[in-house]
Parts: sequence; C-alpha cells; structure tokens
Amino acid sequence: MQPFIQLTKKEIYRFMSIWIQTIVGPVTTAILYQLIFGSQLSKLPTGIAGVSYATYLIPGLIMMQVLLNSFGNGSSSLIQSKYTGNIIFVLMAPISPFLIYCAYLVSSIVRGIIVGFAVFVGIYWFGGCVPKSITSLLFFLIFGSSIAAGLGLIAGIISEKFDQLSGFQSFIIVPLIYLAGIFFNPHNFSGFWQHVAYLNPFLYIIDGFRYGFIAHSSANIEFGAIFVFCLAIVINYIGYMLIKKGIKIKH
Amino acid sequence: MHALEIKNVFKSYGTFRALNDISFNVEKGDFVGLLGVNGAGKTSLISSIAGINSFNGTIKVMGHDVISDVVQAKYNLGIVPQELAFDPFLTVYQTLKFQSGLYGVTNNKDWIDEVVERVYLKDKINSNTRSLSGGMKRRLMVAQALVHKPPLIILDEPTAGVDVEIRKSLWEFITELHNKGHTILLTTHYLEEVEKLCNKIIMIDKGNIIAKSTKAELVSQSSSLPTTVQIETSNGEFSHELEGKIILREGNLFTLKLDNSDELLPILNLLKIANVKINDIKINHPSLEDIFINYLHR
Repeated sequence: MQPFIQLTKKEIYRFMSIWIQTIVGPVTTAILYQLIFGSQLSKLPTGIAGVSYATYLIPGLIMMQVLLNSFGNGSSSLIQSKYTGNIIFVLMAPISPFLIYCAYLVSSIVRGIIVGFAVFVGIYWFGGCVPKSITSLLFFLIFGSSIAAGLGLIAGIISEKFDQLSGFQSFIIVPLIYLAGIFFNPHNFSGFWQHVAYLNPFLYIIDGFRYGFIAHSSANIEFGAIFVFCLAIVINYIGYMLIKKGIKIKH
Repeated sequence: MHALEIKNVFKSYGTFRALNDISFNVEKGDFVGLLGVNGAGKTSLISSIAGINSFNGTIKVMGHDVISDVVQAKYNLGIVPQELAFDPFLTVYQTLKFQSGLYGVTNNKDWIDEVVERVYLKDKINSNTRSLSGGMKRRLMVAQALVHKPPLIILDEPTAGVDVEIRKSLWEFITELHNKGHTILLTTHYLEEVEKLCNKIIMIDKGNIIAKSTKAELVSQSSSLPTTVQIETSNGEFSHELEGKIILREGNLFTLKLDNSDELLPILNLLKIANVKINDIKINHPSLEDIFINYLHR
C-alpha cells in the first residue's frame, strides 16, 4: 500500500501547492455567482415552500465547484504528467494499474471535497443554509465527485493535447454542469424541456446534494442515489480499464 | 537465476517490427553494454523490460516475469529512461523522496543525501526541478533510479548532455555500485564508455541481435580487422618493399595500414634488413567503434 499512499499524497500535495488557483479561485467564483444571481434573482420563486432563491443556490454552487475541481484535478494532473513525461516514473514503479487509478481518483475526490467545504464556508451565510441530511450530503458529495473525477481521468488519458482536454471541458462538462439545476429548479420547466433537463446525469448529483441541505428534491431521491452510484461505478471502471490497457500512455 | 532473462521477444509498432526475436541473458554482477544505432531497438527493448511497452515473448528480472509477476519484477529494477522527464511541482529532494515512496522505501534520507552528492546535485537539493539544466535533470533521473538500491540497474543513455568531468564522476559511482554487486545494463553513444566499463557487449541492429559476447572475445575477433601502425624513423629512410603499405607520410613519421596485427613482425624484420633506425612505434588497434561498424556492415 505504501506506493499507493505516496502517489495519493504527492497528488494532493500537487494541488495544495497551487492553492490560490485550486482553492481560493473556486471560492471567489462561487461568491461572485452568489452575489450576482442571489441578489438579482432573490425574488425568483424556487417552487419549494420556505426555500429562498439564495438558499436554493448555495448547494448548487458548492456542488458545481466540487464537480469542476474533481474533473479538473484528474485531467490536468494526467495530461501534465504525460506532457512532462514524468508519468513514466509511476508506470515503472511497483504499483498496480488499479492502485495507480485509485490514487488519482482519491486525490481528485479529496480536492473536490476540500473545495466544496471552502465554498460552503465562503457562501453559506448568504442564505443561512444548514445541512439537514448529512448522509445524503456525503453520499452525493463522494459519488458525485467520483463521477466528475473519473470523467476527468478519462479525458486526461485520451487527450493528447491541452486543447483537446479544454474542448472536452468547455463543450461537454461545463454545459452539463451549468444546466444541471444549479441556478433553476427543473421542476419549474414544463413539458419537453423538463424531460430534456432530466436527461442530464449531473442533475441527479446536484439534486441529491441539495436534498442534503433542504430536504427536498426535484427528482426521486432513491432513483437519484442508485443512478449516481451506478454511474460512478461505470465511469470509473472505464477509466481503470484505460489505465490498465495503457491507452495513449503505453506503447 | 539470471539477473535479466530475455527470451524470444518481439515488438511491433503497426507494421514496423522494432524487436525481432531478441534473446539473451544478463548474469548477476555483469556490466553489459547494449549497442545499436538510433532506431535499432534499444529503447523499445528497455521499455519492454520496464513494463511500459507491450511485447510478445518472455522477460524476467531476477527471476520475476515482468508480465505475470510485475510488481516483484519492478522492485528489483531501476531504470534511467532516455527521454528527459521531471515533475515540475517537486524539488530535487521531494522528487527522490516521492520516488523512494513509490518503491515502498521510507527513512532513507542518508542514502538520498549520498546519491545526491554523487550525482553532483547537493547544492540543488531544494531547487525546483524546473530550474535544473538538461544535464542536471539527467543526473536527477540517475538518482531516481538508484533510490531503492535495485539489484538490476538499466541506464539508457545516462550521460547524454552531461559534461565530461561530471560524466567521469558519474561512471566512478556506477562502477562502485557494480563492484558492490549491482548488475548494470547500459546503452550509450559514447563507445569508449562501453569499452572501458562493460565486460559483455550486445549489439543490435534493426531489431535483431548482431553480436553478443564478452568484450575480450569481441576484441580477440577484431585481430582480423585493419590495424594502423605509426613508425617514426631517425632519418626519414624506409624500406622500399613496404611502399605499398604506407597510407600517410609526415616527415619522418610513416603511417602503415595492416590487414591484421599479425603483419607487424614481418614489417619490423624488413625495416631491420633495410637498416632503418626506428625512433618510435605506435600501434592503433581497432577500437570498439571499428568492431561495431564492422558488425553493422556484415
């Protein structure tokens, strides 16, 4: 286990050594969103009794940064390692592909959780949002960030250039996260657009995480939990297989 | 048990065959030179041993198969890869500490300090790897391969870009490790390094082994290769019978080409008969480079 622990520690050290970019940056962005949307749209009905828009926004913004940072950690670490060539030292070391994958995954989840906590501290006082279900909150936090981390690792493995990774992030991940009910309650949509909104897998992560704060979900919470759990397993299995087969890493 | 066993190894990239049925063994305590021109297959072979290349065939490190028993095989192996690689987030010390941890080694500060000193990076120990020159990065990679004191050390062009003085010291350190029982496999473009250090030599070309034997055997085979001899006479006189052998004359200094070293004695006899007074004689035996080129042209 020592090689696994070392690799995980090194990966955590990597993002902590650039904490202004990796921790303070996301908190600042979340505060800005909260200030702008929370104040300007404060009268917007959330469709949930006793829940103001500012309160509704808080869990969404926390999870948005959790997902973006979990994704960003795995993807940027892997592509940088490939670019500077230092991934060879990990590949040559006596550590199995499974533990290599786990080390990158765990460190990405840790980054997501640290950023999530920092964002919570930064914005909770805007809407007085106090967690109501810690189990639900932790479940969706861990499995949600593992989905984003897994997608980040897959993107980092298959991307050969930084612009490919950037395209993956800008055109797929960011739109899916932004349209996953951070800023709006998908239940307020009608007909066709409501169906479209519920096709977004990230919606169930944010919805379930928000349930942990306000004890109310737009979609069925049990379905959401099972879906998020299964998706986390599938995405990370694919990621592990890519590392195991050495796709775009080994020759 | 061999330190390294390579049996019927094939490796292709698409239709290009980089390794074609490579088989050889490296015994414990050997210092082996792996020679080949660029693209001969040296790095493909080393990458296969390192477990970062897929291949067909069998490779064992200290008796451990690099596919089925990969973790044990890797514990016994330290490799300096040819491509410069570094972690831009770490200092020299952190790099070596992390590298040790990857091999399950902790509390090895003394050894890290010694290795850092021996690769001349002591004053850079707390510098970020980004600030190192190419030669320093190469030396850091040598240190990385040694942190877990592997029984088998593979060096793929470890002295490329390293200046002459430090290169010499680096070889002293590697030789010391060899004397302590480490087995070394080396590729380098500096053939004089191989000539000086290695006891066995393997030559590969276009993915095939073209020669493998001890250095002594290779050198003894080279008696059939052309030798040159420089003879300085006291008054510029020379035997007429030897005119055909002279390839260069500079004043009293005559350079003769011999088909092999056995011709030398008859030449000296002819000079004696011609009453030529010899001031100095220098024999230029074929170098490893000549032997290598000779094999390449076979």
